[in-house]
This record gives sequence, C-alpha cells and structure tokens, in this order.
Amino acid sequence: MLAPENPAFWPLTLIVFLPALVAAVLSLPIVPKAREEAIRWITLATTAVVFLLSLWMAVPQLFGAVGPGQFVVGEAGMQNVVKLPWIDSFGIEYLLGVDGISMPLVVLTTFLSMLAAAASWPISKHVKAYHVLFLLLETGMLGVFVSLDFFLFYVFWEVMLLPMYFLIGVWGGPRREYAAIKFFLYTLLGSVLMLIAILMLYFTSDVRLLSDDQLIATHVVHPATAVDEIASIRSAEGAVHTFNLMALAAVGQLPNSPFASTTVWLDMSLETWAFLLLLIGFVIKVPVVPVHTWLPDAHVEAPTPISMILAGVLLKLGGYGILRICYPICPGAGLSLAWLVCGVGVVSMVYGAFAALAQTDFKRMVAYSSVSHMGYVMLGLGVWSAVAGQEYRWDFWAQGVNGAMFQMLAHGISSAGMFFMVGVLYDRVHHRNLQEFGGIFGKMPVYSGLAAAVFFAGLGLPGLCGFIGEVLVTLSSWNYSPVLAVISAFTVILTAAYILWAIQRVYLGAEYRGPHEEALTPITSRELSIATPLVFLAIVFGVAPQSLFQYVTPSVNRQVATLAEWTRDVHDGARKMVVADAAGADEKPQPAASLTDLVTAKSGGSEPWRANAL
Amino acid sequence: MSIENLLPLLLGLAWLVPLASFVAILFFGPRMGAHGKGAATVATAAIMTSLGLSLAALVVWLGSHPVTVAAHGDEHAAVEAAAPDASSSTVRFVARLTEPAAADHEADSHGGPHGDAHHDGHSTEGHGDGHAAAKPVAYVGDWYTLYTGGSLQLSIGWYIDAITVLMFVVVTFIATCIHIYAAGYMHDELHPVTDGEVQLASGATFTREGRFHRFFQALSLFCFSMLGIVIAGNLAMVFVFWELVGICSWFLIGFYFERHSASTAANKAFIVNRVGDFGMLIGLMALWGGLGTLHFGDSVDPTTGAARPGLFELVRPEQEHHAQQVPAGLVAFSAADEVARLANAGGNPDELRHQVSAAVPGWRQQGYGRWLLFVAGVGIFCGCVGKSAQVPLFVWLPDAMEGPTPVSALVHSATMVAAGVYLVGRFFPVLTPDVLLVIAYVGGMTLFIAATIAVTANDIKRVLAYSTVSQLGYMMLALGVGGWVAGLFHLVTHAFFKSLLFLCSGSVIHACHTNDMRKMGGLMRVMPYTGWTMLVGCLAIIGAGVPFVIGFSGYYSKDAILAQALLFSRLNPQHTILYVAVAGGAFITAFYMFRLWFMTFAGTPRDQHVFDHAHESPRVMTTPLVVLAVLAVIAGWTLPGGFGVSGLLEQSRPAGTAASLTTTDLLGTITIPAEHDSHAGAIHVQATLTAFATALAGVLLAAAMYLKPIVSPSGVAAAVRPVYTFLVNRWYVDELYDTIFVQPALRIARVVSGFDRQVIDRLINGLALAAKRIASLDAWFDRTVVDGLVNAAGQITWSVGLELKQLQTGRLRQYVMFIVVGTVAIFVLATLLFRTSLAG
Repeated sequence: MLAPENPAFWPLTLIVFLPALVAAVLSLPIVPKAREEAIRWITLATTAVVFLLSLWMAVPQLFGAVGPGQFVVGEAGMQNVVKLPWIDSFGIEYLLGVDGISMPLVVLTTFLSMLAAAASWPISKHVKAYHVLFLLLETGMLGVFVSLDFFLFYVFWEVMLLPMYFLIGVWGGPRREYAAIKFFLYTLLGSVLMLIAILMLYFTSDVRLLSDDQLIATHVVHPATAVDEIASIRSAEGAVHTFNLMALAAVGQLPNSPFASTTVWLDMSLETWAFLLLLIGFVIKVPVVPVHTWLPDAHVEAPTPISMILAGVLLKLGGYGILRICYPICPGAGLSLAWLVCGVGVVSMVYGAFAALAQTDFKRMVAYSSVSHMGYVMLGLGVWSAVAGQEYRWDFWAQGVNGAMFQMLAHGISSAGMFFMVGVLYDRVHHRNLQEFGGIFGKMPVYSGLAAAVFFAGLGLPGLCGFIGEVLVTLSSWNYSPVLAVISAFTVILTAAYILWAIQRVYLGAEYRGPHEEALTPITSRELSIATPLVFLAIVFGVAPQSLFQYVTPSVNRQVATLAEWTRDVHDGARKMVVADAAGADEKPQPAASLTDLVTAKSGGSEPWRANAL
Repeated sequence: MSIENLLPLLLGLAWLVPLASFVAILFFGPRMGAHGKGAATVATAAIMTSLGLSLAALVVWLGSHPVTVAAHGDEHAAVEAAAPDASSSTVRFVARLTEPAAADHEADSHGGPHGDAHHDGHSTEGHGDGHAAAKPVAYVGDWYTLYTGGSLQLSIGWYIDAITVLMFVVVTFIATCIHIYAAGYMHDELHPVTDGEVQLASGATFTREGRFHRFFQALSLFCFSMLGIVIAGNLAMVFVFWELVGICSWFLIGFYFERHSASTAANKAFIVNRVGDFGMLIGLMALWGGLGTLHFGDSVDPTTGAARPGLFELVRPEQEHHAQQVPAGLVAFSAADEVARLANAGGNPDELRHQVSAAVPGWRQQGYGRWLLFVAGVGIFCGCVGKSAQVPLFVWLPDAMEGPTPVSALVHSATMVAAGVYLVGRFFPVLTPDVLLVIAYVGGMTLFIAATIAVTANDIKRVLAYSTVSQLGYMMLALGVGGWVAGLFHLVTHAFFKSLLFLCSGSVIHACHTNDMRKMGGLMRVMPYTGWTMLVGCLAIIGAGVPFVIGFSGYYSKDAILAQALLFSRLNPQHTILYVAVAGGAFITAFYMFRLWFMTFAGTPRDQHVFDHAHESPRVMTTPLVVLAVLAVIAGWTLPGGFGVSGLLEQSRPAGTAASLTTTDLLGTITIPAEHDSHAGAIHVQATLTAFATALAGVLLAAAMYLKPIVSPSGVAAAVRPVYTFLVNRWYVDELYDTIFVQPALRIARVVSGFDRQVIDRLINGLALAAKRIASLDAWFDRTVVDGLVNAAGQITWSVGLELKQLQTGRLRQYVMFIVVGTVAIFVLATLLFRTSLAG
C-alpha cells in the first residue's frame, strides 16, 4: 500500500531478499548441477550486488549526495523505516529499518558474505545445493539485522538456523554430524526460549499506554494516517498488542510498564523472565560460557567460508539482540541483572582465553579466542554504571556499549580473517595440529605477513581494529565494578600468550614439521583478494575508528542516555515516591513490587493488561 | 609562526617521518637497490630528517626559553617561565599551561598544606617568577580523535615541554648513530645467510634469504613508536605507543626467528611486558573512571567546548599552589555511597552536582580517594616496571639480547627501556609520596639484584643487559626519592654511554663471532678504536671524574642520584637501605664493567683462534662509536653560558615539586626532600666522595682479579660456591616464575579445556542421548504397538532395519517438525485464549 512511495522499500527489501531470490532461481531444476563454475560466479555476483547496495545505503558519499532511501550518518534515530501489514490479525508487520547500530552490521554482513562466497571456491561437493543454502543464510542474517517487528525478527532468526545446520552437517569435516546436531540443539533451545519471551511480551504489551507522539515516533501508526489510527487505538476496549520493537521498548520504559508490574512466576516480574529468556537465547549465539561448547565443534568442522560467516556475523546476532531488544524493552531487569551480563562476559573472557591456551588444534584455538573476544562485548553491553552513586552519568556506560559495538564489528573482521588464514593452510596440508607446523613464514612470506596482521588485530594491538573495542570496554567497566574491570584487564596477558604462542608454533621456526610439505605453495591471487580487504579494514578501523563510531555513537548514546534518564526518573524516582508514600507502612524493597503499587495507584485499579494476560 | 604552532609541527613531523619510512620499506623494501640495500639509506635518511627537525625544535625552544645560569654549575638551572606572547591563544586546541605567575607570590610561604615551607632562594632568575610553585612551560593540543562519547574523549595529541624536546633529540640522535652502524653490522643480511645456531632435524645447515630491509623496516617502526610515547599528550596515547613499542621489540628480538631461542625470547618479552600493561590498565581505569580525562595538560570538553583541566592540574591545582591533592573526581568516585545518598534525596542533576562538589572537600578530609590515587600511581608504574625491566619483571631484558646487537643498543638500552623511566618522570606530578616510596624500593632492589647477576655473567651482551637493568633501577630509585632531575639526567647520559657500550660489544662480536668473554682477551691490540671507545663508555658508566672538578657524563648524573638518596635517607632514617643500595651498586657496577673490559681487551688472548680472526670493524661502524664516545664524555657538562642537560630538565620540573614534602599516608610518614637541598655542601661532598671511593674500589678489585691476577676469580668463586651458583643461575627467577606462573597457567588452561569436553559436553551429550532414547522409545512404540497391529512380522524386521539406517538424518526432520507444529499450536492456542483482546 505504502511501498511505492517509500524510497527505502526497494533498497532494504532487495538487500534482504535478493540472495533468497537468487537462491530460489538457482534451486530450480533448469539450472544444471554440472555448471559449478557458473553457480559460483552467480553467487559471488549476487553477494557483490548486495554488498554494493548496502554500501550505497550506508555510505552515500561514495555515490554522490545523500538521496532518499540512503542512510544519514550521525542521526541517532531509526531511518528508512518500511512498514507494511503482513499478518493483520496479530498485528504482525513487514517492519524494517536501520539505525547506527544495525547499519554497520548490515554492511559487515554483506561484506563478509561476499568474501565468504569468494572463499567457497574450493567447495566441490554438491556445489549447487551449497550455494543455494549459502544465499538463504545471507537473507536470514540480513533480515535479523533490519527487522523491527519481533515476529519477523524471529522468522529470520529461524531462517538462518537451517541453512547453517546443513552447511555444517553436509560440507563439514569428519565429525560434522555431531557438530551440526550440537549446533542445532543449542540454538533450538535458544529459539524456543526466545519464542516464549516474544509471546509473553506480545500478550502483555498495550500500545494504548503510549502517548500520541510516542505512537508516531515508534512507527506504530503511519504519520500520514496517524489521526485515524490513533483514534482507533484509543477507542479499543481491550489491550492493543504489538510486535513492534520500538513500541515494545517505549512500553517497557513507561513508569507504569506492564512488563514490570506483571508478576509471572517465583515472584519475579514478567520483565525479568522475558529478559532472562531472551538473554539465554541470545547468549547461546554470542556465545558465553557455559553455553559455548557448540562453537568450537561447529567451527572446527565447518568449511572455511562458513567458519568466516559463523564467527564474523552469526556471533554478532546475539550481541545485537541484547542491545536492540533486551535492554530497551526490559530496562528494569537489565539494571538488576547487569551483574549477570557483565559476569558471564568476564567469565567468558578469561575462560575462553585459558581454553585457547590449551588447544592444539589451530582452528579450535581461534574458536576459543572468539569466546574470549565476545566476552568483551557482553561486558561492554552490561556495564550499567548510570546509577545514583555515579550521579546518573551515562557516558561511561555509553563508552562500554560503543566499545562493545566496535568490538563486534572489529571481531567480525579479525575473526573472519583468522579463520580464513587457518583455512588457507588447511587447504594445503589438510591438518590443523599446532604442533606440526613451523617455518611457514619462510615458505609463504606474503601470506604469513597478512596472517600476522590479522592475528595481531586479534591480539588487540593498537593501530589494528581489535584494540579500540577492548580498551573502551575495559576502561568503561571500572565504573560498574572495579573487580570485574581488573579481571577483564588481566585477560590481555592471556590473549598475548595464546596468540603469540600460536604464531611462534605456526609461522616462525626454521622448518615445517608436518605432512604435505610440498603443498605449501605461496598464496594464490584469489586468496590474496580475500585476505587483503580484511587486513586493510583491520588497519582502517584501527587507525580511524571514527569511521565506524560516526555511525554507532549517536544511536548508542541516545539509547544509553534514555535508559540513564529512565534509571533516574522511573526506576529510582518511583522508589522514592513509594517510600515517601508508605512512610511507616510496610516497606517493599523490590522495585518491581513498588512499581506495581505505583501503577495501581495511578491507573485507579484498572489494569487492562492484567485482564488479558491470563 | 608562533612557537605553540611551530613545535608541534616540527616534532610531529619528526615523529611521522620514520612511519613513512616504515611504510615505504614495507611495500617497496625488496626493490630498494640490490637485495634491498637501499632500505638502509631510506631509514637512515628518515631518522636523520627526524634528528634535524628535533634539533630545529630544540633551537626554537631555546630561542623562547633560554637555559640560564645555574647556581651550582652542574645541575641547577633557572626556570624561565615567562609567558610567551598571547597572540595565538585563539587556536582552538592549543591550550597553554603557562600563565604569568602572578598568583605565585604566596607560594613560597605556603609550599603546600602538608609540606614544609621551604624557600627556594636562589633557584630563580630572569623574571623572578620561577617560584617553587610555578608551572613549567608546556604546549599541549590534540591532532586526532579516536573516540568521543558524551564528555569522554580519547585522542592523539601532544604535550611538549623541555623533556619532550630533549628526549626527541636524544632518541633521534642515538637512533641515527645506530642506523649508520647497523648498515655495516647487518651487512651479512644482504646475501643468503647460513644460520649456524639453527638446528635442522636432518642435521643439515640452515640457509635462508637475507632480510636486510626487514630489519630497517622494523627499526623505522620502532623509532615512530618510541617518539610517539615521548610526544604523547595523554596517557591513552602513551598506552597505544607503549604497545606498539612492545610489538616492535617483538619483531626485533625475534629477528632471527628461525632460532627457537629468539622467538621464545620475543614472546617472553612481549608477554612479560603485558603483565606490566595489566597493571598500567588498572591505573588508567582508576584515573579514567574517576576523572574522565587522561590528558596531561588541559584539553577541550567535547560537549561544552570549554577548557577542561588535565591530570596535572587536577592533582596539583594552581589555586592550591600546586600542592598535591586527591582530585574531586576520585574523591566522589570512592564516595559513591555518599553520592547515592545525596542523589536519592532528590533534586535535579544540576543541584546534585553542586551538592556533590560542595561535599567533596569534606570527603577528601575523610580520606576518600587516597587509595584510588595510590592505585593509579602504582598501576601506571607497573607498566613502567615492565617496560623498564624492573624487579619483578626484569627477566625479559637479558633474553632480549637474542636480537641483533644494534637492536640491543637502541631498543634495549637507550630508548625503549628508557620509556618506563620517562613515563615516571612525565607522570611525576600525579605520584603520591607513597607511590614514590614504592618506586624507590623497586628501583633499589632492581639495581642491586641485576648488578649481582652481572658480576658472574660471561656473555658480553648479557653483562651489558644486566648493567642496563641495574642502571634503570638507579633512575627509578632517583625518581622515587624525589630526584626528578637526577633520574632523568641519568636517563639521558645513560642513553649515550650504554648505546656506546652496546655498539662496542657489537663490534667485538662482529670481530670474534662469539659473545663469550672467556674466549676473548688482548683485543686492544687489534681493535684500538673499539677498545678505547669502550673504555670511555666504562668510565662514563661508573661515573669517573676528578671530584669537584670535571668528569665523564655519568659522574654528574650518578653523583646527583647518590646525593639525593643520601639526603632522603638522612630525612627518612628508616629507609637508609636505599642509600646503601645505591652506594653498594656503584661499587658492583665499577667491578663488573671493568671485569668486562679487562677480560675483553686487556691481558693476553684466551683463545688464539678467535684472536687471530679478530679485526677492527669498518669505518661505518667505528665512526658512530667515536661520536657516541664524545657524547658519553660531555653529555653531563654544563656549558659556560649555563646550557646543559640538567638545566634544560630543570625548566620542566613539575609544578610544586621543588619544595620538600612530608606526608603521613598509607605507608607511614615520608619526607620527599627537595632536590635542590641535595646540592648543599655537606651532602654533596659526601655523595661525591662516596661515589669516587666506591667506583675506585670496584675498578681496583676488577684489576686485581682480571688484570694482574692477584686474586684468582675461580678461587673466589670456589670460596663462595653457594652464592656463586645462586648468581650464575640469576637468582633462579626464571625457574621461579615458570613454577609459580607459567606452569599453573598452562595447567588451568588444560583444566578449563578439559572441563568443556568432560563436563559441559558430557552433559549436553547426555541430554541429547536421553532425548534420543525417548525418541526411540516412541519409535519402538510406533513400530511394535501401532505398526505391529497392522504389519506382518517380516515387515517389522524390514522397518527396523530401515529406521536404523535412517536414524541420523531422520532426527532432524523431526525437530523441524516440532518447531513448526509447536509454533502453530501455540498460536492457535493463543488466538483462542486471547480472542477478546483482538476484538477491539
């Protein structure tokens, strides 16, 4: 209905669905299986087109002035929102949009997909099926990043899961079936929990609680038809539920948030349960200790391009979900469970680093380094230091979240690079035993130089992309908890140890100690064309972090500042009012309970969401 | 162009030119002349350009801030703190620290709330405003922003004062000498190299391509990183270049990376440095979390655009006459509970801010934040401990001698290891007396332990390595006891004579093809240039001189340290051990340095084969030796006009440190004496005579044992066998660390990795197995009960076989079905239950 007038419709829709469309065409029987080279080229071309499209959107300066449908750098809010009805009876919409948090992740995804498509050339088994699944996977990932409707988000989340299962299970290494099942079970568990949380939030939400301005700002109603739509919302008798993520966030941050005031089970609010369920769903993807053991197996068994995607993009979905969904929608739970988010982050950092130190499989070591590096993301997201004792200053927390975002993007580059570098060696000598390498620098100097750069980026060396995120997160964590900060700082020693030790065993030394020495030929031009952009970006992001921060910071700062204000005005403010009211009466230490009282007092006992919640 | 624009331009260029050289050699190195020979020219030209620019900056500096007459002729010069012209104060990012010292007239009578009022009578000249509490001249600003979020900003900028300019000159000068020298020394790398120290499994000799250009590439990157530390305008930038210096060191130590020992030494150096950086990060966090800035000088608040005080101003505010105090940010941080109480009492953000700032002085009185400032100081010092190879992190430096000798001279004696001392000097205003005491003790232990190990070492480079560690300990101790000029002065003189000593040792190794001093002897006859210049270096390091008249450069700086330590132990009798360490260290230094020289150059050849092949090094190598030898003699002198290193340093003396200071804090009562007092007659005389006597005694003992064998070295070793063994094994520090840190870390790593497989995965597998069992039970039910009613027995057998065959792929479809069916079911259920809510 509104699609033709909306300049963002086609760019966003094409970015998401072009891979799926090509996948559909490729899967038709008219495409002969034997034309493997053509299929590879078509896939690469598709990913390249999608990358260019996302670049056109994200970096308009490259294509002239900013036009309609393109991204305005420096703007904090949601841009290029596409809103079409999809399943009307549940209010499910085709609601897409990008802001400074999702835009860089979209470009990272399209970029890595392109490189991974190029890295898929050595795949020779069922080439057609591989590429079809690969393109489907890209659609799923991109869909998750641009969805603003929770149901749509979930659909894309699931769409991603199956291709990944098959890509590992069919094209993987010797233990591929075990790894694929493990990956599937873990992620399935997460998905189920997420689904429960989605339904809980949906059936408790009520957009009638929002003001007119909020309804327009959160795209619940279309500005053009706002008057009529608002009127119909206001005249509704029962609660008007929504899957709209922005609206859910606005509802969740209300002083009378139904999520906070509904008690579900074990005397904990719905908000807390939803936060926990979503958190588990997301941290499985991140992954954090102790739900991380799918990752080493999946990585080790997956073919190189899939490892690149897995480490480069899939892990970011978890962090993105926490940032986009958990915190804005369930701020109360986010504040009271910040210790949990930070705690698992720090544990993952240290645990992952120690585990990486013990590995003898090169790829497994890199996989554990991902666990350790993603721990920084968790820590950065969780350091809610905007509390009373810090005068509600939000900038340290914002620094942590900005650092976490940067770390996600940087890790996308460096981990994809590291897996690719391991893959280059594996393609030649067909083993990954760290004890059986050595002397690679003498045989493959260009490759080794690039690999060293990528591994140094993982090490967090200044001038390369890994440094900025780590330093920002570590520095920001002090204001949340000096103890966690000290432990997180300790990780820098372990990181140096496992990366340098691996470099020593693989690249340095006088001679190669493993089999197939004759196969160690210099890097090919195809491999070079994949490695060079990664190294180049690792340097660019390390030297000019503002190139990413100009996107990320405005959106992150806005969200964090909003939540800091929420802490002061709603969270702490509510408690004070209740304490003042109930002076002498029985005091209730639980903020959720206090909020309930407050809301009951305000709304005169009528609780529309309660009536429907059962 | 005004000076505050000119200095950053000159030094900024001097800093970046080596980076350009690095990039050029990285991409075009192999094509630079035959076998990359041109790389040396490019890198040398780059560092010479930097030297030229640095000298120009020095000239510019001296043009505006002349070093004037010094009271004692050696290390006391006046502070010239006249305000430069204010015409360019409109430059946005250029904030000037110096103000006309109008408010300073009270300073003399105050000297700080805790401090002894100490009038600094004759230290000032010129405009008469160089009081104890005057701020030194410094130009600060930012080039580049790494991160801005709210009021927080991390940036790349400059802080230029006299030490910055001086260090630029010293670093680029020594680097130039070493580049020239290395062009000769690394000559072998122009051709395929046969590395005799590499053992191949097949037993064959190992031959590889030469890596001449790679060496200069790393050297250029190193110079860039080192200069980055020197010019850094904030601690975050220091940390950035700190790490970069670390990785350059990794490249250079591991230059012969085919040797397992070299790559291990490189890793060890980096990881041990990271241990120090761990502490440094904690220090950074403590400051950043409370203060929200890491700038040394004033900077600009990104939200308001207003000037924001830097660390120095926060810790030593001008209105307190630069007396040290815990900054408000740290006070409020550690009083978070009190702040929360205020915040919970209501009020808008502005009111809260006022309430908090009104309450801060009271909290400060109660001691809030003192620990934080202590942690910050010790944390930053931890980084310096790593980089400057202090106890307990000194173990990497001797191993770092695996690198080529020019690297040892530049990186591991004159510059990189100097970075730690430099940072302590730079950061001095923020360090509390407690932290200074910690620094002094660490320095004292370092100088003693390293000196004792050097006595028994037989590898010529290792003797110098331990000597470096020991001398760095001297500098740290000097800074710790309040000898700010003394410590940095020794840093500069040491840079000259130690790089000279290393280059001489390189020349010897080049000639003898061995590091073992037991195979040398009598080399003076064949290598006169090397022998004489090395003698100059040895005399400089032991501080030789005619007392009260003239001496080698080390004479001045070492005397200053000794005098300051003596004064410190007079005022703090409980810490007399520090003075004993300094004096004893001077004796041991003299002994092992002359042991080295006698074993190498004097007497008769111990190994005729080595001696016969020895030859003087080529001109390209001896010229830098002579140049450095001249500087090793004169670097400590004060010229008749008053110009000298110590005078230049005195210009940048941190505000508020010229007076002595007594505090009672976390570590008891400490008096940090004013440096000026240690020049007073009695102290000065005693220190000078002690230095002379200990050095002479050391030289005589060395002569008695190694020149004219009156005392047999092996006899002495036998007499004190346990001590000797202990020292030969370097106090067993490496073994100790391996036992208590490395092995446990690896064990934890194995446990963690095993936990994943043995516990978590078993749990997961068990769950999966249980699910599978239930599924197969279900399948069994299907087959036996449901199907069994329908099918014949033969069909059952067939179906079991079929099911078993498809077990692997069959499971997944089931799961997918579960999701789909489950999702639909929940929705149907939900629709039925909540139909009412959709009615509207």
